Amino acid sequence: MRDTVVLEPVQKPSITHTQIVRYAGAAGDFHPLHTVVPFAEQTIFKGVIAHGMMIKGYIGQAIGHWFDVENLIYFKTRFQAITRPGEKITIFGKIEEETLELWNCSAQAVNEEGEVKASAEFNIKKC
Amino acid sequence: MVQINEKIGMTIEPYIFGVEKGKFRELALAIGDEKEEYLSGELAPPTFPTIIEFQGSVFSFSDFLNVRDDQLLHGEQEYHYFSKFKHGDSITVTGIVENAYKKKSKNFFVIKREFRNQYNEIIAVSRTTIIELIQEELK
Repeated sequence: MRDTVVLEPVQKPSITHTQIVRYAGAAGDFHPLHTVVPFAEQTIFKGVIAHGMMIKGYIGQAIGHWFDVENLIYFKTRFQAITRPGEKITIFGKIEEETLELWNCSAQAVNEEGEVKASAEFNIKKC
Repeated sequence: MVQINEKIGMTIEPYIFGVEKGKFRELALAIGDEKEEYLSGELAPPTFPTIIEFQGSVFSFSDFLNVRDDQLLHGEQEYHYFSKFKHGDSITVTGIVENAYKKKSKNFFVIKREFRNQYNEIIAVSRTTIIELIQEELK
C-alpha cells in the first residue's frame, strides 16, 4: 500500500445569505432557518445558517476537481458544525488508500479558523 | 410514550420525480460548481439525489417522525451511486426508516431511500441521518 496522497485544496468564496437563498431554491429546502433572518435569530442558532447539503455540495465540487465524477461510487458526509454567511470554506482531501479497483479518499470542509464543518469519505472506481 | 425503535421499518409513501437537465444546472450554479457537464445537463452533480428528495414530494421529516421541525438537524448524508441520472428519466423513490436510536440524549433516525428509473434499474441509494435534539438542549 502506498502512502496517503494529499489532494490540492479547493477554496470557495465567502458565503453570502443571497447564495444560501439561491441554494434553498435549487434544493427545494426553504426552511426559514436558512431563508428568514428574523426567524433564524429567534432560534438556538441566533441567525441564518447554510444548508449542510450546500457544504456537501462544495465537497462534491472538490471531488469533481480531483477526479472524474462519473467514477464516484460512494460519498458519505458527516455534518459537524454550522456555517454562517461570511464564512470562507476550503475543501481539503486525501487519497487514504489505493486498491486494485478503488481510491478510498477523505475530505473535510474547513473555515478560515480551522473549524471543521463537515467530513466526508468517498470512493472512486478506477476505469 | 412511543419507543423510538418503534419507528424502525416505517416506510415513506413512494413517489415519482421527472429528471430535467435544467435542475442539474440550477444546482451546480447554486453551489458555484460550474463544471461544463453539469451546466449542459449531461451529468448530475453528486448531491442531486437530495434535490429529488426535497422536490419530488411534500414529505417532511417532522410530520413523518412526528417531531418538532425546529428540533431537527441533518447529521449525515450518504450516497451509493450505481448509474447516472439522465434527463427525461422518471425516478421512483422509496424510503424506509432503517434505524432509530437514542444516544447522548439525542434521537437518531436513519432513512434509506432507493432511486430507480423507469426500467426499474437502481440509480442510487441514499442514507440520511436526522438528529432530534431533546427539549432541554434548546433552552
